[in-house]
Amino acid sequence: MTETVLIGQEPELQPEVDVSKIVPINRQSFGDKLRAYAKKPFSMILMLLVMLAALVTAAIVIFIVVYTLAQGIPNLKGALFAWNYNSDNVSMTYAIINTLFLAGMTIVIAAPIGVFAAIFMVEYAKSTNIFVKIVRMAAETLSGIPSIVFGIFGMIFFVGVLGWGYSMLAGIFTMVLMTLPLIMRTTEEALLAVPDSFREGSFALGAGKLRTIFVIILPSAMSGIISGIILAIGRVVGETAALIYTGGSSRRLAGGFMQSGATLAIHMYLLANEGLHVGEAWATAVVLIVLVVVINGLAEFVGNKLKKEY
Amino acid sequence: MKKVLLAILSLVMACGIGIAAVGCADNTSSDATGTIIVVSREDGSGTRSAFIELTGIETDEDGDRTISSAMITNSTNMVLTTVADAVNAIGYVSMGSLNDQVKALSVDGVAATADNVLAGTYKLARPFNIAYKTGTTNEIRDDFIKYIYSDQGQAIVTQENYIAIPEGDDQRTGSYTSPGNLSGSITVGGSSSVSPLMEKLIEAYEALNSGVTINLQTSDSTAGMSGAAEGTFDIGMASRDLRETELANLTGMAIAQDGIAVVVNPSNSLSDIEMTMICNIYIGQVTTWEQVKGESAE
Amino acid sequence: MTEEVLQDGKEIKRQIKVDPKELIMKIVFIIAAVVFIAAVVTICVFIFVQAVPALKEIGLFNFLFSSEWDPDVEGTGGGSYGIATMIVGSIYITAGALIVGVPIGFLTAVFMARYCPRPLYKVMKPMTNILAGIPSIVYGYFGVRVIVPFIRDTFGGYGYSILSASLVLGIMILPTIISVSENAIRAVPKSYYEGALALGATKERAIFRTEVPAAKSGIVTSIILGLGRVIGETMAVVMLCGNQTEFPDSILDGVRTMTANIVLELGYAEGLHRGALIATAAVLFVFILIITLLVSLIRKKAK
Repeated sequence: MTETVLIGQEPELQPEVDVSKIVPINRQSFGDKLRAYAKKPFSMILMLLVMLAALVTAAIVIFIVVYTLAQGIPNLKGALFAWNYNSDNVSMTYAIINTLFLAGMTIVIAAPIGVFAAIFMVEYAKSTNIFVKIVRMAAETLSGIPSIVFGIFGMIFFVGVLGWGYSMLAGIFTMVLMTLPLIMRTTEEALLAVPDSFREGSFALGAGKLRTIFVIILPSAMSGIISGIILAIGRVVGETAALIYTGGSSRRLAGGFMQSGATLAIHMYLLANEGLHVGEAWATAVVLIVLVVVINGLAEFVGNKLKKEY
Repeated sequence: MKKVLLAILSLVMACGIGIAAVGCADNTSSDATGTIIVVSREDGSGTRSAFIELTGIETDEDGDRTISSAMITNSTNMVLTTVADAVNAIGYVSMGSLNDQVKALSVDGVAATADNVLAGTYKLARPFNIAYKTGTTNEIRDDFIKYIYSDQGQAIVTQENYIAIPEGDDQRTGSYTSPGNLSGSITVGGSSSVSPLMEKLIEAYEALNSGVTINLQTSDSTAGMSGAAEGTFDIGMASRDLRETELANLTGMAIAQDGIAVVVNPSNSLSDIEMTMICNIYIGQVTTWEQVKGESAE
Repeated sequence: MTEEVLQDGKEIKRQIKVDPKELIMKIVFIIAAVVFIAAVVTICVFIFVQAVPALKEIGLFNFLFSSEWDPDVEGTGGGSYGIATMIVGSIYITAGALIVGVPIGFLTAVFMARYCPRPLYKVMKPMTNILAGIPSIVYGYFGVRVIVPFIRDTFGGYGYSILSASLVLGIMILPTIISVSENAIRAVPKSYYEGALALGATKERAIFRTEVPAAKSGIVTSIILGLGRVIGETMAVVMLCGNQTEFPDSILDGVRTMTANIVLELGYAEGLHRGALIATAAVLFVFILIITLLVSLIRKKAK
């Protein structure tokens, strides 16, 4: 305390004071904190618990990631990326392409529906409307349904009733159902974040509702929407339970919508299952995690990058 | 109240840290003692079906008597992993999937080898069956089946450590030559135990018939048979004998023999087990390794 | 001048008249919203329609409260289908995962929102995001290789147990709980915190006595979202829980959850067995509906 000089203490009398040493009155030194904690042991315990929890979380993340990398990287060989899959090289190239195809087509279908529904919910409907309440309830239910229930439904409906068999198409539509609520929710949030003054300004300039939405609001909300879509891709890439009984487990390159093809997650599951390629399964896990982390990082990046532009 | 809550909190965290701190736990090489960890497969598995039938775990009166405290896994790998990690575990897997992290027991004094299966002395063996819907015809399918029974096809069976159909058997079709004009695709699906072998057969077959694509769907024996009956699969695979209900509209045939190896942890001192003992372990009449070894010593 | 005004007036009138494009797009938007309702209704109908005949044959009471699960795989008739052990299994593992995940997740959220220095936050946030990005199947194999042997060597037993599954699932729900709770705490006006400090409260008292109660609904929502994820988790659980159809005696015993039951047996189930599995999914669906209702009730109360 001896060195600090409090603001407002007749500064004109001590003009030679080093300004950098001026400390705000409410700043506590470490010693102050310690003394305060000594008086309030419960607070200290809480503080320690909070620190411990953060430490545990960090330790868990580091441990899981390091463990997976340690198991996978030694098995990461060039042959795993050979173009043609066969039972010797257990290449994951086809699986990666299948995954990208499935995820891409899922987004092509799910994104417009999810975004349009969100536009309806935010721009057209009043929140007191009973229809809106039902839609919201439906979206929330849909987002809560476990992936295995989507899998069972896909197996009954797309594979069985519609007769698509184990195929990309069945997998895609199951994934569409699964990702719809995610895309709608993120889009809704993004639309709500666009200030009302944008809408008012647009209407005042004589633009119609449609024009306002597509020219003014959607571009402003694009960052949120895109990051939602990328998150949805991440979810598809990591999915296993819902795809085994719909997309099927054929290790082929799916040449069309009606053919079956294993995605990367299922490829890993199959590799590990028979116990013949456990090392390669870990290598696949590394690729899978890297893929999902990159996708999620991309979502975050896009979300932040585009936000700054407007 | 708060303090109790706090105590619980700290306990939980201690657990969390403990887990975070533990690396790969070293396997202690001490012998198996105490309660046996019984590892089995899911009900639809052909390996399980063949295993319970051959060991007498399944009887006509009582059906499947596997104790309900047996751990159920849905893959060969989970059985191998569990047995490799747990000193007290016992499990069973396809002989073709054996690795050096587990120890295969000899049964009634006969070692679990392909030769013994072929000689008929190792009793825990089951056929790898394929089946298709009776009365249907499919050029590619028939040619592929012909290939499986050919000298080349059966050579692959031997090479993958399964037991081939003996030479001179009626089913053998001799040397295979591609008709050369086939094109199209068929789907083969079913048992995950047969899949690794089938995959090799398909690869070799496609190399000879460039116009043909054969899709492989891996699930399990029962799904393979029902898929073949429904027409989802052109050929179904089962790693067990076909049931009478299934044979009603399927034509089945064995393409190879496979042994089922009873596996224990490598540090387990046991090396031989009697068939009745396997049964007793799986129906819960014998629950500790002391009982097993005491009996074996007699 | 007057002509121009008139013209402008006409313009305005024309604009007010509904442009067909506007109408068409509005209908398109409505249809997109209807897709959600249609999806939920279709899923409900197909699952319940397939479940009801099986439930009738088994008996709803029998199905929910019998502990005998002995499916008729051979197609010879008979078989008993009771999922009581699996309901209990799901509940145990869910409770266990919450006991592991909630305290760590909640306190980490407090750390992230109020303690974490800026540079550290830039590291911690992506780290929790990585946790969210790891596919459940990788968690499953991680659990099998690390957690299960650890539990077996430390506490004995099979290793594949309620405890192992709870620990792994507890880790899996951390990112959900952390991010939702953190946002809830951050949304509390800064004045609450400052006011408490000004009255002489310690930082912890200010956070836990003023901010946390204010963020209660958000924190509870995060817990319920985590709960939903645990109940529905499949691939990791089926590898870790042991899958025995028995009532467990301790947390070191294995159980089978409803999701594990479905994924284990769906591949080959036929007839009544298949119906029973779909009925299991229906029960799961009802659980999720209850949870969804709870969330919306909490939101309503918070408003």
